[in-house]
Amino acid sequence: MEVTLLVQAADDSFRLLENARVQAVGLLNTAVQLTSDTRSVEERKLHAIFAGAQDARSGLQNFLATFILLFGFWALLSGKFDAFHLTLGVICSFIIAYLTHDLLFANVRVGDIRVIVQRFITYMPWLVYQIAIANMHVAYLALSPKMPIDPQIIRFKSKLESDISWVTLANSITLTPGTITMDIEEGEFVVHALSKKVADDLNTGEMEDRIAHIFMEADHIYIQDVLDVARIFGEMRRAA
Amino acid sequence: MIFRKEDIIVSTISRILVPFIQLYALYVIMHGHYSPGGGFQGGVILGASMVLLLLTRGYDEATGKVSENTVTLLTSAGVLIYAGIGLLCLFFLGNYLDYGKLAALLHVNPARARSLGILGIETGVGIAVMAVMYSIFLDISTGGVLPEDEEEQ
Repeated sequence: MEVTLLVQAADDSFRLLENARVQAVGLLNTAVQLTSDTRSVEERKLHAIFAGAQDARSGLQNFLATFILLFGFWALLSGKFDAFHLTLGVICSFIIAYLTHDLLFANVRVGDIRVIVQRFITYMPWLVYQIAIANMHVAYLALSPKMPIDPQIIRFKSKLESDISWVTLANSITLTPGTITMDIEEGEFVVHALSKKVADDLNTGEMEDRIAHIFMEADHIYIQDVLDVARIFGEMRRAA
Repeated sequence: MIFRKEDIIVSTISRILVPFIQLYALYVIMHGHYSPGGGFQGGVILGASMVLLLLTRGYDEATGKVSENTVTLLTSAGVLIYAGIGLLCLFFLGNYLDYGKLAALLHVNPARARSLGILGIETGVGIAVMAVMYSIFLDISTGGVLPEDEEEQ
């Protein structure tokens, strides 16, 4: 009787071990597939940035967006809103938008410009708030008698994907007192920070997350992660 | 030859600024009557925007957009517009650059015709000045040697 129970327990444990092995192999396969997918996506994005790739359909969208922005700038500059000057403004904006439409909005996916502009406008008050806080911290550092600064250089690889978001992040870091972006070499930011607190604030990555939210980047990988994890959980639940 | 270090921040910001600089230049040209400005000033600002592209993008990309031949033609085109409007006034039995006589062509009163005539020659001046500024910087950056001559040397 006990031997039967023992044999049955051994059999159950072997089956459990077999299931665990199968699941581990499945997990490893998914991990390999995710890594190779991510790497190929990353390579394609970097190549697109440096080769200046641009979709053909977005030419008209870029032209219209540039025209609207330039005409708004003209209306702001010239206080005269009579028909003659407005017509001049339309002609000038049209000519410049036609000649430089691939300059202002390069690397933007079709249909995204309105959302990006709205999100950019809501990002700026947060940036001003961060500048104010960092200002007070640097003033405290500079005015205290022993000046507790701890200058350090931070290198980090950013998850952002296009040149305009890199430049936005670099400018936001430089505008915030206490940190200065020294260089961007091959996708790696080299930032000089004044003290440990400022460096820690930078390393949390909140600014990077917000900028990725503005330009709608670095979000497709997360969806893929969720889908694969759900599949793994489904398999484990079925096997158990 | 100017040696250029690749810098993505400077390159991106300059490409975003160039349309706004050019629009400001055209604003300066068009509002020469009402505010400080006119043809020469606007032309210099236009030329400066193209020099910005030349400095940050390099000789090959900048001349890909506006080649040296185009720049030479634009210089002459600006002067042609200026002198052409003057000659047009001669055809309408006025003096050289007597814009009042253009009122018959444009169907406006003579005062308005003078205003539009001045706007026309300021545009010509602006184009010529832009082209000359840009070509000066191109000559500085290449040492006066055109690409086809450089291959022969």
